Amino acid sequence: MLHWLNDRTGCCDAWRRRADAPLPGGAGWWKTLPAAVLFVFCVQAITGFFLWTYYSPGAQSAWESVYYLQSEVAGGWLLRAAHHYAGQTLPVLVGLYLIKQVFSGTYRRTYEAVFWITLLMALCTLGLLLTGDLLAWSQNSYAATQVRVKFLTLLPGVGEGLYRIAVGGPAFGNLTLTRFLALHVGLLSGGMALLLILHGVFLRRADHNLLPSPFGRGAGGEGKGTKAPEPALTLTLSQRERGLSTFWPDQAWRNALVWLGILAVILLLALMHGTEGPDRGIKLGSPADLDPAHYYAAARPEWIFRGLYQFAQYFPGLWTVIPIFVIPGVLLAVFLLMPWFGKNVVGHFFNLLLTAFLVSAVAVLSYLSYMHDAQDPAYSAALKEEDNLAERVIQLARAKGIPPTGALTLLRNDPLTQGRRVFQQHCAACHTGAGVPAVDATAPNLTGFASRPWLAGLLDPQKIRSADYFGYKDSPFKGGRMVGHVMELLSDLDDDEKEDLKKLIMALSAEARLPAQRNIDARDAKDIEAGRKLIAEGEFGCTDCHRFHGKGQRVGPELTGYGSTEWITAITGNPASKRFYGARNDRMPAYAETDDETKNLLRNHDLEMTAEWLRGEWFRPKK
Amino acid sequence: MTPPTDSRRGFLGRAIALLAGGTALLAPAVWGSIAFLNPLRLKGRSGGFRRLASLDQLPEDGTPLRLTILDERTDAWTRYPIDAVGAVFVRRTGKDRVEALQVTCPHLGCSIVYQAAPGGGAFLCPCHQAHFDLNGKRIDLPSQSPRDMDALEVEIRNRNEVWVKYQTFASGTAKKIATS
Ligand code: FES
Repeated sequence: MLHWLNDRTGCCDAWRRRADAPLPGGAGWWKTLPAAVLFVFCVQAITGFFLWTYYSPGAQSAWESVYYLQSEVAGGWLLRAAHHYAGQTLPVLVGLYLIKQVFSGTYRRTYEAVFWITLLMALCTLGLLLTGDLLAWSQNSYAATQVRVKFLTLLPGVGEGLYRIAVGGPAFGNLTLTRFLALHVGLLSGGMALLLILHGVFLRRADHNLLPSPFGRGAGGEGKGTKAPEPALTLTLSQRERGLSTFWPDQAWRNALVWLGILAVILLLALMHGTEGPDRGIKLGSPADLDPAHYYAAARPEWIFRGLYQFAQYFPGLWTVIPIFVIPGVLLAVFLLMPWFGKNVVGHFFNLLLTAFLVSAVAVLSYLSYMHDAQDPAYSAALKEEDNLAERVIQLARAKGIPPTGALTLLRNDPLTQGRRVFQQHCAACHTGAGVPAVDATAPNLTGFASRPWLAGLLDPQKIRSADYFGYKDSPFKGGRMVGHVMELLSDLDDDEKEDLKKLIMALSAEARLPAQRNIDARDAKDIEAGRKLIAEGEFGCTDCHRFHGKGQRVGPELTGYGSTEWITAITGNPASKRFYGARNDRMPAYAETDDETKNLLRNHDLEMTAEWLRGEWFRPKK
Repeated sequence: MTPPTDSRRGFLGRAIALLAGGTALLAPAVWGSIAFLNPLRLKGRSGGFRRLASLDQLPEDGTPLRLTILDERTDAWTRYPIDAVGAVFVRRTGKDRVEALQVTCPHLGCSIVYQAAPGGGAFLCPCHQAHFDLNGKRIDLPSQSPRDMDALEVEIRNRNEVWVKYQTFASGTAKKIATS
């Protein structure tokens, strides 16, 4: 059987030739490096294939498909983590192999072709990292890739065009993902496979050229066109006798042990964050958000590019082209020429020095970059925020499922996320609200707005003139009617009046139907009923100025539905409308002045989200 | 020595092999590349002037407001009827004078943020820390940004309406080149 197969395919012969080929210089641990590269590439090809069976490139499906793999598919998270960490290992191994070649001098005769192939492999692995990073379509991967691809625009003349070709259009989107996927699994992976095959062929040839006859063509004998005799299979014994080690098994067992070691490292890294919870394996950030308002400020490249990233910071503006394109280009050319420099001692020494310098420079620069980030509070804040976002979207996806418009919709419709963001961007210039401090407090504090304690403060003569209510900076209301009314009427209340005021506050607060007060509102239904009457027709004179369920004057803001989502949306839409402050409105902008959303400062949906956020009304997972 | 006829035949054969084989292989590569380069033909959408806000919505002290540009957005085959396509900083520079700046950083296209400070804020790009003053001028020269922030055309119509011509510009160049 085997004979027959060998006869037709020559596979056994080929294996024998490979297995029994003597190794110049013998077997050794350093020589396991190319086999290690091959192994990790195989791991990548295998895990990558299975990842691919789950992956769906597309702006509304890429992150979602990764999320599905990560959280719903048995062992999916481990697969993804293994692919991630093996992907990080690959350039390290190729780099080590390259360095090893330079330092052991085996980049020179007769190994030039091997050296060049290794260089190309290094480029290929970096390309794989760059393209693979985007595919998760998370906020970090999008933002980091965006800046990276934008570097192309620094190239004069052709830059903009190259950018479009890379991205698949004027901006990131569906086509960027399809392109990057095709590059990643097609061109670059295929290229890497080809390079590995060529590497094997060239390495054997180079070894062969070095070996003394009858095994090879004699030390350094670069036979001109004469085909060297194939080493005969029967030589095995005499090779052993002469103390030459062969690939099988001297090198092979070393290779195999190294493979196991690498596998162990990859698995350890993948299991580093445990096997449970959303953090297991490699964390999936929040989905890429193309809205420029949600730009992720902590986007950073993968660690392997950190040195370059830091280096580029030293070149302002258009000079960035030097660290990004010119210097790497020149270095690549120098490396390609290294075998030629290395022909004499001085050149070899130069090569050694350059390699050592580069390695240490990258190390130092990377260190500086991490140090800089560690000391930058804005960076940590952005990271923290992104962590929260990622946690939240997964929480929502788990509870509600992902809608056809993608996971981003979950966040857009989440008051806790979207409402808070809008508040931060638009309201927090003047207002403080639920843990978001005002930059320059020139308006009331909205923390707990319309809740019983908040209203109790508003109707307290001691507090109404404080900065939290109408006593804020430059407030025109400080000496206004409402303040005067409260100071005059609500100071020195007797016990009965105090009770009435309490009921009034309960009733007004009940207008908001705050989720946090649902239980006490139901409990106090009777008092609330009494309080309503007090507002509408009681001694306190509310309706002298305010509308309340069809009664009262329109001088101050309407109290019907006070603090409800509808009420807040309406007052933020247009505070100067008759229903609210009218001409008395102090600097509060009208965020939805017209019926056409494109002409307003904010979309109605965003106003609703903000209102619900202020009201503490958002999805909470059941414990 | 080979006879001349032979060598001619040999030459012809080689030429045919190379040309025919090369053409056959090249053809699919060429038409594939044509499709691949299609993005070069796509243009960003230019919206013309649009009403962004009314004058009295803008703070009188000149604090910039960051306004989102809402418009239809097309991403290859997906069309979003209304989506955030960009943003501008709008601020008052006088009683009825308004200035608008593109938020996209001229360096590499990150989004610039306004950093409010009690004494008067400034613009900062979080990516490579380019700083700009309120007029969009670079402050920390030599700056990462190759030019000042891109000013957009503003018109005040009907006394109270702020209209801005929203445009995007090429990043990474010292010249301001409109890309939409
Ligand atoms: S993108 Fe703004 S400084 Fe680089």
